[in-house]
Amino acid sequence: MAAPLLEIKDLVTVFHTSKGRLPAVDGVSLTIERGQTLGLVGESGCGKSVTAMSTLRLVSSPGRIESGSITFTRDGESIDLVTAAEKQLRKVRGGRIGMIFQEPMTSLNPVFTIGNQIAEVVQLHRKVSRSEARSRALEMLRLVRVADPEQRLDAYPHQLSGGMRQRVMIAIALACEPDLIIADEPTTALDVTIQAQILELLDELQSRLGTAILLITHDLGVVAETCDDVAVMYAGRIVEQASAVELFSHPMHPYTKGLLQARPNVDARDSGPLATIPGMVPPPQDFPSGCRFHPRCSHARKPECNEESPSLREISSGHFVRCHFAEEINS
Amino acid sequence: MSEQNHQMKPPLLHVKGLETHFPIKKGLLRRQVGSVKAVDGVTFDIPRGKTLGLVGESGCGKTTVGRSLLRLVEPTGGEVLFDKHAVRKENTRGLRSLRRRMQIVFQDPYGSLNPRMKIRSILEEGLILHRMGEERSRLKQMEQALERTGLSPTVLERYPHEFSGGQRQRIAIARALVLKPEFLVLDEPVSALDVSIQAQVINLLKELKQELGLTYLFISHDLSVVEYLADNVAVMYLGQIVESADVGQLCQQPLHPYTLALFSAVPSVEVKNRRQRIILTGDVPSPSRPPAGCRFHPRCPLAERVCREVEPPQVDLAGHRFHCHVASRELERCGGDAAETSAVMQAAITAATSGSTEPHSAV
Repeated sequence: MAAPLLEIKDLVTVFHTSKGRLPAVDGVSLTIERGQTLGLVGESGCGKSVTAMSTLRLVSSPGRIESGSITFTRDGESIDLVTAAEKQLRKVRGGRIGMIFQEPMTSLNPVFTIGNQIAEVVQLHRKVSRSEARSRALEMLRLVRVADPEQRLDAYPHQLSGGMRQRVMIAIALACEPDLIIADEPTTALDVTIQAQILELLDELQSRLGTAILLITHDLGVVAETCDDVAVMYAGRIVEQASAVELFSHPMHPYTKGLLQARPNVDARDSGPLATIPGMVPPPQDFPSGCRFHPRCSHARKPECNEESPSLREISSGHFVRCHFAEEINS
Repeated sequence: MSEQNHQMKPPLLHVKGLETHFPIKKGLLRRQVGSVKAVDGVTFDIPRGKTLGLVGESGCGKTTVGRSLLRLVEPTGGEVLFDKHAVRKENTRGLRSLRRRMQIVFQDPYGSLNPRMKIRSILEEGLILHRMGEERSRLKQMEQALERTGLSPTVLERYPHEFSGGQRQRIAIARALVLKPEFLVLDEPVSALDVSIQAQVINLLKELKQELGLTYLFISHDLSVVEYLADNVAVMYLGQIVESADVGQLCQQPLHPYTLALFSAVPSVEVKNRRQRIILTGDVPSPSRPPAGCRFHPRCPLAERVCREVEPPQVDLAGHRFHCHVASRELERCGGDAAETSAVMQAAITAATSGSTEPHSAV
């Protein structure tokens, strides 16, 4: 079997601060196959964005990747992004792996035209002339369906709407035909009708170009609509992983179940109050012992849950759950 | 919002033709060259004890409506009657006594609580301003308000930074409740919170409404939250309400193309029965230069000539109100059957938008 496109193994990313060693990502393993979309979901502070930043080694001091490997395979050649030389890494960033961030206004440079910013990526990764890079930029704007691409090429970011800026971000990410796009909350800052446009665009481009996507979001609905596989993160660890169809039809971890039940909708209005998860997400300095979810879990039992950290076990085919009592509470 | 309520009892809040325009000034003499019509003729009623959900995308004017009601921004036209008091005509003193009865909770609990003030001072400020009780009775009122929102009285001596987002929002709600208001404007009160915390605050709001008989204007871009909390829903687009009805009616039989698109765009966790998504083209136009005719026409997949030229009049179908030329024509064809009309509209939009890959027009 061919190696997967990206394989993250036991990634540990820590931040050394005055509060001590904070393991924001604590033993995360993920696999992304070519052309697939993997959703990484969780609430704020669960470590999903740090996982994404670690993948391209963009975590800056005081953060540091402490251990683990990130193997990126292309044309049978594998490199470990954790140990690779900075020069090698630069070829991957923006070239083989593109990134889309949440806030397009802060990730685009306000003093350069968008044509410039797309062309810059192309020139960095390919031996092309300025005019070739510019025509590639124009082509990209057409691809992401920006209206009047010729005029927009010379526009500055502030002249575009939020949805348009996000399209430009996608154009930059796709400019060098990457194998993988890491999209960190790409639609969170957008309105629902614009979100629908962007998700549709990503979906269409993916099926056309065969790009794999690592989609990071807090919105379970977005995941359900776009992803093939889903991993749910809580307090620096993956607590459940399965295909999207399986996860949303048979959620097994108490946290995943809680998240799904806490979503309000019109059908729930007459059936009493919404189900809630008591308490809140612990910050890294207060990660509890044993299962990190146990203080908020209604199924927690002593001494198992507060003493022994559960492992991520395969409960049914392709469905992994980090819970001592997964079978019991789901029978 | 139905006619029945009109005849039985006057609503707690009656808003008619509300307009809030902001001037655009340019040049050396700061001459007014135009205006941003943030709210442009909004009419609704909220009966006592009910919740009106006001939904729409950013920039549609929903927040400005909420602020205009309390005169946190001055409306430039229209009428606001709160329990028979004309809010727009009140002088400073009258307005102050009205504001005790109508309070507001803001979206961002990080921005809305002064970081230099202890929770005690934050809650007490309103009580002192409105001369509600001596020091000891004020403390008691504050403790009660905190208890109602699920916080312990010990938080009084602490500062906002010591609390999480969910707790801060509870403090903001307690600050509103301590004045014993009858009406609350809730401006995106749960949007900044994580899902698990969001559910806790939604439950709290629902509980408070039942226990204290509060009336809410719930402003949100999140349809699922509105569906859960509201009795009536009004959908705003570019400063105007395009459709309003009771929540069940609006969710099951939406008639306006914008409402249909908005509902279809909400991602659902039901992987199996994905709704046919209606993808609108383009962005919301600027409220300083709203399009002629129906304001939605540049993005509407069903727009016809009449939509570009004539502003659609309101159609009122037993409390289900909407502004749309196409829907009103279809309604007539269906003999006034809203369910059938809604299905026809849905089918027409789906047919008009499927397979379209034209560039998104910029506005």
